[in-house]
Amino acid sequence: MHVILEQIINGLTIGSFYALIALGYSMVYGVLKLINFAHGDFFTLGSYLGYTVLVFGAALLTTHFGLWGALMAALIFAGISLAIVGLIVERVAYRPVYPAGRLPAVVSALGASIFLQNAIMVVWGPRFQAYPSALIPNVHLQIGGIHLTLLQIVILVMSFALMGILYYIVQKTTFGAAIRATAHDRKTASLMGININKVILFVFTLGPALGAVTGIMVGMYYRQISFTMGWNYGLKAFTASVLGGIGNIPGAMLGGLILGVLEMLGAAYISAAWKDVFVFIILILVLIFRPTGILGEKTAEKV
Amino acid sequence: MEQTPLTGIGKLASSRQLHVALATAVFLLYPFMVSNYYIDIAFYFGIYTLLGLSLNIVLGEVGLFDLGHAGFYAIGAYTTAILNTKFGIPILVLLPLSALAAALFAYVVCSPIIHLQGDYLLIVTLGMGEIVRLALINNPFDLTGGPNGVFGIDFPSLGPWLVIDSSLEYYFLIWLIVGLTILGLTRLQDSRIGRAWNYIREDETAANANGIDSRSYKLLAFVLGAALAGVAGNVYASKLMCVSPESFSFWESCLMFCIVLIGGMGSIPGVIIGAAFISLFPEIFRPFAMYRMLIFGSAMMLMMMFRPGGVWPRKRGAVKYESLLEGTGRTDA
Amino acid sequence: MKKYVLLVSVLFLVLGLGSAHAAKDTVVIGLQGPITGAWAYEGQMAKQSCEIAADLINKKGGILGGKKVVLKVEDDAGEPKSGALAAQKLVAQKDVVAVVSTYGSSVCEPASNIYEKFKKVNIGYGVTAVRLTQRDFNYFFRTCGRDDSQGKFFAEFVPKKFNAKRIAIMHDNTAFGKGLAEDTRTALEPMVANGQAEVVYFDAITPGERDFRVSLTNLRETKPEVWYFTGYYAEAALLVSQARDIGITCPFVGGNAAINDEFVKIAGLNVAKGCYMTNEALPGDLPYPEAKEFLDAYRAKFGDIPSSPWPIYAADALNIIAYAVDKSGTTDPAKLSAYLRDEVEGAPGITGPIGFTGQGDREGVPFYLYVVDDQGKIVVSR
Repeated sequence: MHVILEQIINGLTIGSFYALIALGYSMVYGVLKLINFAHGDFFTLGSYLGYTVLVFGAALLTTHFGLWGALMAALIFAGISLAIVGLIVERVAYRPVYPAGRLPAVVSALGASIFLQNAIMVVWGPRFQAYPSALIPNVHLQIGGIHLTLLQIVILVMSFALMGILYYIVQKTTFGAAIRATAHDRKTASLMGININKVILFVFTLGPALGAVTGIMVGMYYRQISFTMGWNYGLKAFTASVLGGIGNIPGAMLGGLILGVLEMLGAAYISAAWKDVFVFIILILVLIFRPTGILGEKTAEKV
Repeated sequence: MEQTPLTGIGKLASSRQLHVALATAVFLLYPFMVSNYYIDIAFYFGIYTLLGLSLNIVLGEVGLFDLGHAGFYAIGAYTTAILNTKFGIPILVLLPLSALAAALFAYVVCSPIIHLQGDYLLIVTLGMGEIVRLALINNPFDLTGGPNGVFGIDFPSLGPWLVIDSSLEYYFLIWLIVGLTILGLTRLQDSRIGRAWNYIREDETAANANGIDSRSYKLLAFVLGAALAGVAGNVYASKLMCVSPESFSFWESCLMFCIVLIGGMGSIPGVIIGAAFISLFPEIFRPFAMYRMLIFGSAMMLMMMFRPGGVWPRKRGAVKYESLLEGTGRTDA
Repeated sequence: MKKYVLLVSVLFLVLGLGSAHAAKDTVVIGLQGPITGAWAYEGQMAKQSCEIAADLINKKGGILGGKKVVLKVEDDAGEPKSGALAAQKLVAQKDVVAVVSTYGSSVCEPASNIYEKFKKVNIGYGVTAVRLTQRDFNYFFRTCGRDDSQGKFFAEFVPKKFNAKRIAIMHDNTAFGKGLAEDTRTALEPMVANGQAEVVYFDAITPGERDFRVSLTNLRETKPEVWYFTGYYAEAALLVSQARDIGITCPFVGGNAAINDEFVKIAGLNVAKGCYMTNEALPGDLPYPEAKEFLDAYRAKFGDIPSSPWPIYAADALNIIAYAVDKSGTTDPAKLSAYLRDEVEGAPGITGPIGFTGQGDREGVPFYLYVVDDQGKIVVSR
């Protein structure tokens, strides 16, 4: 029983990473019907920027702001930088191909992904980079026989807080309503006076920023990062967003968490080596019986 | 859309014949003028052309988003590898068998998912491709050799008379297959099946209403596409003499997707251009070492910026994309 | 017509860019390695190591009476097809006398077929799969050890050292890691048969993953007394820290790719200290003057010594090629290969005296048990 609880908590931790990345995919998809394959590399870039702040600015930052202050500085710096990078990529790689439709945009997105990944390799080098472990509090807890770390709890709290804020923005604010309306029916939304351009810019700012924050959390959690890691996380997160119902914001969160837990349980009770196979089979089954994902609305999509 | 005046048809035909003759001459002379390295580049260009043609049936003709095509390629390659190394079946006998295995696999896996639309089909095919690759790594029943793959595959041979074991012979083998495939596919494009496929791509509901059984036609496209990918897998496996899972990654599926879109959906000359781009570009930029993929990525973005419909789009029945900004009031770039 | 001529000539021109003609007073040695792709850090370190090795040879006056050694690098992206193309490119260049090739066993396989066919000496530096030297090839050699020699060392030495009976073996499903794990299990079989040992856990993790808590929980439940991980340091560091998080306390032993300075940096000193590894002598412990000279030069140019053992084998592959060309006075591949196989014995190398068996394996690569000490230094365990 302890073991299964432990596995579920581990699954939720990794699932919350997927969920935060999946949000970026899902928002862009909802508004533009575009699969932003470069999103995984936004996440990697954020992780590397955070790493740079923590390694080179750590001494200065910790003396002035303390440990948590330094972390906050890294999160904010990476978040803002990636928001800017997101806007640049939108402007350079995507906007010129919007009129041409969704498939050329997919090629452009793949091109942007290769570009970013290799740019990271050129700038930071091909080695794995180690997140400064001295900065990261490593406290082991044992609550009722369950092994946990303080960091795990911090990450879970932070991810859920971020998801909560985003949920609030999208579901309760007027601007959120505009995003949802755009995702639902762009033409009508536009006729109702919603500024679609603003919505596009918004999702390209917020998605990458969330990705960057996740990148730093992943770096802290696993203590090492590599320039190719975005591809794997991107693939999983994209899967998660489809599982939840792509374009649907609560769906992306739910999809991410479910995927993480499924992965862990699959690894624990079926086989670690076959766990991704298990995840993809579940995904395919869900889509066969509920073709628009768990929370996706039933739509008659015409492609 | 270009209109050719009726009176120009004769002229068009002769200039077209000239082009074909020239291309054939270049094709025949090329391997005798260069070293094995350049012949091999042309060989892999041929492999990618075949893969592009096979995905073009699914993606270009029918408009089905398939991002797991490397799975079919892998099934073909591993069928060849396993049957050849375990039972000594000759490679050329395995050529149709690999195609059949990949086609059968496509039929079994795609039957339950064929009703899925657009991006949902995309993710399911993606998942299917990943499942194949992961299964190869995990070495089920000790067949696939795990991450090491299968090694010691024979050369294709017809008894002792003809053994294909040099770069030159492989070059002619693959391009012979590509040539025959193009011949077949061009005919298919204009046939009842080809037109039904295009109809489904443009408007599935209307196609159904007109009595086209879209489900069977879509399955046919997958089966045919998979069979061709299986053929490519067979030739690839015997050329490299070994297969391992990293050759059939998700990235390989993405490359095939790009081949079709860079060339222009549904366009056979387009596929050749797309394959040329994908296979030649990284080789041309070899001297740039670690910067070459950086350049490759930028080139992909530039291509789509300037030729979003593809370099050589199909003239008749060209695919029209709906703008992503449809209805936003913004049409600028 | 003009268009075709233009197109074809442009193509030839561009493709021809890379093949500049080398001068007569040089000896060109090729290096095929993963300069891009997921193993780029290994490939780029190998390139740096070979550059240093070539520099050192040239500073001492070169070979064959004053000819300079020139390195020609081809990227194989850690992928078999690119590897085959890189090999074709290198065999097409007549001035390349031999090739240092490559890091991964599954990339090496198709490439070495091509080298064999076109008779070019190729020396692997990170390719430890046993089967590579069981093909009766004439031109394939390797400067690194084989998976099974390390497995044998583990079986003979480790259970006794920790007085451990319950042994857990974990690999990473890569060609290298799985090979080593299986060879270790095979080497343990006699001990299992007479009840001295028991393999309580044998499973894989997925490389590139970051979360191994599930596999580790399963491992914990088997109550191992020693735990051998045969994969790479990136995963090893994560594994050990996550294992300590969930309360696994038994000694950790890594294979020769598992522990290095990066491992200590990623896992953190608290976690890393007391971790063991089976390894050939590490760069810093190599008692040979060649090693000191090489590492000093490497550190002077790149600021640090290579973070994994393989680049040094690449440098030694280059060294032995240069040595054989110099001593035999020939660049003829058949003669060079015969010379390497039959005549080279105890040639000076960074990793110790170099010699090859009839199959092309390196002769005598001794293994040691290393441990991370309290300062985070990796030292020989006594």
